[in-house]
Amino acid sequence: MKRISIDPITRLEGHGKIEIFLDGNGEVANAYFQVPELRGFEKFCQGRPVEELARIVPRI
Amino acid sequence: MSKPKVAIYWSAACGGCDVKVLDTNEKILEVAAAVDLVLWPIALDFKYKDVEAMADREIDLCIINGGVRNSEQEHIVKLLRRKSKVVAALGACAISGGIPALANLFDAQSILDYVYHKTASIDNPQGAVPQPEYDAPEGKLSIPKFFESVFALDQIIDVQYFIPGCPPPPSLIAKALVAFIQGTLPPPPATVAGDGSVCDECPRERKREAKVKKWKRISQFTPPADTKKCLLDEGFLCLGPVTQAGCEALCPKANMPCEGCMGKAKGVIDKGAKIVSYIASLTDANTEEEAKAILKDVIDQVGLFYRFDLPKSLIKGRRKV
Repeated sequence: MKRISIDPITRLEGHGKIEIFLDGNGEVANAYFQVPELRGFEKFCQGRPVEELARIVPRI
Repeated sequence: MSKPKVAIYWSAACGGCDVKVLDTNEKILEVAAAVDLVLWPIALDFKYKDVEAMADREIDLCIINGGVRNSEQEHIVKLLRRKSKVVAALGACAISGGIPALANLFDAQSILDYVYHKTASIDNPQGAVPQPEYDAPEGKLSIPKFFESVFALDQIIDVQYFIPGCPPPPSLIAKALVAFIQGTLPPPPATVAGDGSVCDECPRERKREAKVKKWKRISQFTPPADTKKCLLDEGFLCLGPVTQAGCEALCPKANMPCEGCMGKAKGVIDKGAKIVSYIASLTDANTEEEAKAILKDVIDQVGLFYRFDLPKSLIKGRRKV
């Protein structure tokens, strides 16, 4: 099965890659969009004073 | 003569640093005319395999923003280091971990558990979590390994220049790029910023005799009628005294205490320790009880004092047990 990797996806904000699999006829059999990034704002915003979030989350 | 080659890359970042490169406005056109950009994911369509195909040290200047959070970022920054003559760290995340490094207060597993199973907005009935490798019917897929903690760039590779800020002021980015093009960058390692601390650039005036009767949270802020009044004198925890100059005191000028995004001022070993020291000397207390009352609203010290530099601080992060 032929495989096309688009790594990284460009001209957007964030990280991503796409893996495309082609069947014997050159048609797309399946495609996977992957986000190879996590920073965990959901977790580390815990414990911060609520008014400070206005200064923390603009950096998402 | 061929133009110098410049690469711009982002690791664990928000994109704000890249936007500030664009915010150099017409300077970016001069830069684009003077150099060949060979990688810049936010703006141009070059792939990692294009970088891999280059000769070692083929890139003249590689500007990297973002800290190192996972195995892909480690791999790419090491690759770029090998392919580059000069590496510059752009912004707080690359220099000292930045805000994403507040994650170093938690272990990797608890972050993954919370993000994929417990947030209010999650919809994940299968309980799926990202796996470094996945056997899809069509072939093997892989994503990077999520590290235990965030690293500053120079904890992974050698870095020659540092352009601080969250985000860095476009004026400093332009200064660094113009110096690179003209061949006038200072001998490395060097920080491209202002002299002294944020206080040196701040138009507010500190009264030497002022003592704080009550430290206040920023939610209790009403801008002083007299905009010349020092925010510290008013009892707001401004980090100006320990923070590297170069931003022209942008936040204090806008009635917001400095949160320290430019990093440590010269001579500061540990930011938090230095902040504790000046809080102590400004606090107007004669007894422990008085001090406790005055300091009651100094909360989340780690989240403020080390907001941008946890991986480079003495405490580093959570205590490993």
